[in-house]
Amino acid sequence: MQRITIDPITRLEGHGKIEIFLDEEGEVANTYFQIPELRGFERFCVGRPVEEMPTLTNRICGVCPEAHHMAAAKACDAVYHVEPPPIAKKLRELLYSAFYVADHTTHFYALGSPDFVMGPDAPVAERNILGVIHKVGLEIGSKVIQARKYGHAVVEMIGGRKVHPCTSIPGGLSKGITEEERQEIEKMGRWAVEFAQFSLKLFDDIVLKNSAYVDMIMSDAYTHRTYYIGMVDENNKVNFYDGKISVVDPDGRRIGKYAPHEYQDWIAEHTEPWTYLKFPYLKKIGWKGFVDGKDSGVYCATPLARLNAADGMATPRAQEEYERFYTTLAQQEYERYSSTGAGKVVHQRLATHWARLIELLYAAERWVELATDPEITSDNFRTIPTETPTEGVGIVEAPRGTLTHHYWTDERGILTRVNLIVGTTNNYAPISMSIKKAAQSLIHKGTVISEGLLNRIEMAFRAYDPCFGCATHSLPGQMPLEVTIRDARGQVVEVLKQYC
Amino acid sequence: MTKTLVIGLGNPLLGDDGVGWHVAEGVRQALMGASRPTGGEGRRTDEPLPSPYRGGEGEGSVPRPPSFVEVDCHVGGGLSLMERLVGYDRAIVIDAVNLGQGPVGHVTCFPLEALPHPSVGHLTSAHETNLWTALQVGRTMGAHLPAQVMVVAVESPYVYEFSDKLTPPVAAAVPQAVQKVLELLGQEEEP
Repeated sequence: MQRITIDPITRLEGHGKIEIFLDEEGEVANTYFQIPELRGFERFCVGRPVEEMPTLTNRICGVCPEAHHMAAAKACDAVYHVEPPPIAKKLRELLYSAFYVADHTTHFYALGSPDFVMGPDAPVAERNILGVIHKVGLEIGSKVIQARKYGHAVVEMIGGRKVHPCTSIPGGLSKGITEEERQEIEKMGRWAVEFAQFSLKLFDDIVLKNSAYVDMIMSDAYTHRTYYIGMVDENNKVNFYDGKISVVDPDGRRIGKYAPHEYQDWIAEHTEPWTYLKFPYLKKIGWKGFVDGKDSGVYCATPLARLNAADGMATPRAQEEYERFYTTLAQQEYERYSSTGAGKVVHQRLATHWARLIELLYAAERWVELATDPEITSDNFRTIPTETPTEGVGIVEAPRGTLTHHYWTDERGILTRVNLIVGTTNNYAPISMSIKKAAQSLIHKGTVISEGLLNRIEMAFRAYDPCFGCATHSLPGQMPLEVTIRDARGQVVEVLKQYC
Repeated sequence: MTKTLVIGLGNPLLGDDGVGWHVAEGVRQALMGASRPTGGEGRRTDEPLPSPYRGGEGEGSVPRPPSFVEVDCHVGGGLSLMERLVGYDRAIVIDAVNLGQGPVGHVTCFPLEALPHPSVGHLTSAHETNLWTALQVGRTMGAHLPAQVMVVAVESPYVYEFSDKLTPPVAAAVPQAVQKVLELLGQEEEP
């Protein structure tokens, strides 16, 4: 097979770019997936006061600023060696739960569900949220808008601003909430629980009751046996805001947990010559290439990964759904797990959409739990830092993966170094592997390359909800996914563009 | 009374991507300056100007009876931008574009639907839907949304590197883009 050197300039065009190389027989030899990377953030931060980070980092990305705000706030707590009071943690988690409801809702209805509601081969102009509304009914659209509105309202009440919160500071928060606000937040949370249940029912009706879709989910084309990571609480239940990072192997057995400050003992980064973005992997296992299995340090950090890495959900309805998820997709394993404690795991990447909805329900239930906490309106929402700032790590689960912020400062709290591992970066290796496997399963000698085929390859990475980071760049409003297919001599056979 | 929203889009920390914020600030200053001689309308002249960098979304309202013009900045796109446009009769959005159809700093103005491929796809990021689709969603839901969205765009490919400064050709284009927005506002106020 002819080796094609990819011009590095093409990385910076703002495209999600996939190159597929065919061999002499017309089979897929290799694929490359390139994501444009925003550059220079660490350099931009150095020299600034560390307490600016919660508001600076939430400008990294227009999609999950709340996640960066939270990770930065926790890193600042660590830098100042200060433990926020319980109320501050609860208020932050309450804000974060409401954000999760809005974010997971948007992903499922705008991005995930069109493939199933409209069908994976539907014309691209119909395969979007508008198509879903037209097909399923106006009620869906109203609920989606309402879920977003309520999520943003809570972010504004606790975070001080819509979308880009500004109230988390070293040691806690700059404000609390009143009883009137609490009542409003509780009311919205109870609506969100019902909405999450409605969404799971919709998934049941449209996806799980359609054997063709279930077959597609279970198919080998969308399956990878990798490690998984995700944050868990002290009972090893999924938590988005606080806890340790649980790591499970491809058999679903926990190999360990790490605290935020230990992340460098567990995670290392591999570089490839064809992309600036690095590929994180499990240091203890080692980088063995883009391969599945126990000997490969490739891991995944997504809603599916979080469910796999945990022992369950901390709220009752989400726990019921968690059990249904595993008994449906990995029945024997789950029975063995329940009786003997052996590992349990689901490797089917398209099941991530279901896992995301289970997390949606958990986030909504947690929202209500925290909103009804008897102390939540207390004004004890900050511990004033007294220690000299040094170095600290903050980790939260962003909707699309574990988010790590690591800061170093001088004795005045001025940043001297910053390291971030953002959600999607965790998944760069598995996303690349998923694209290759889908392409290998779907493209053979004589295959006619169609838009539908392209979409089925695209579905492989869509399940990860990848963040291209450039989300804030709103116009022209599309980031084309460009797929170039080359033959064994490197000649272009086909170029397909899709505004994904 | 016609309600118009002038909204600068983009990320103010991402080089030329933040040009929309600079232009919006210029428009706001110009409108406030224009309202000062008349006195009594709009804000008091001694009132401190809210900075879009400090104030974030939702600030910078400049009522100018008999029409109403609000100037704001916004970081998101798609559904969140659509939600911000609810309740307005007209909208002018300002943003950096990388269409490759002119030199860096080239200012253009066109209706939203003139953008390439306005009808397809999901995207502003991979998570969202494009503004055109989002507006259709909003209208389908019965929301009051601007009948027309005009775009004032400044060409630049330098939108991937963190910086709070514009490149010189884009900085130089800000007054022209401000003028373009003011012209559009003037046209809109004519009966």
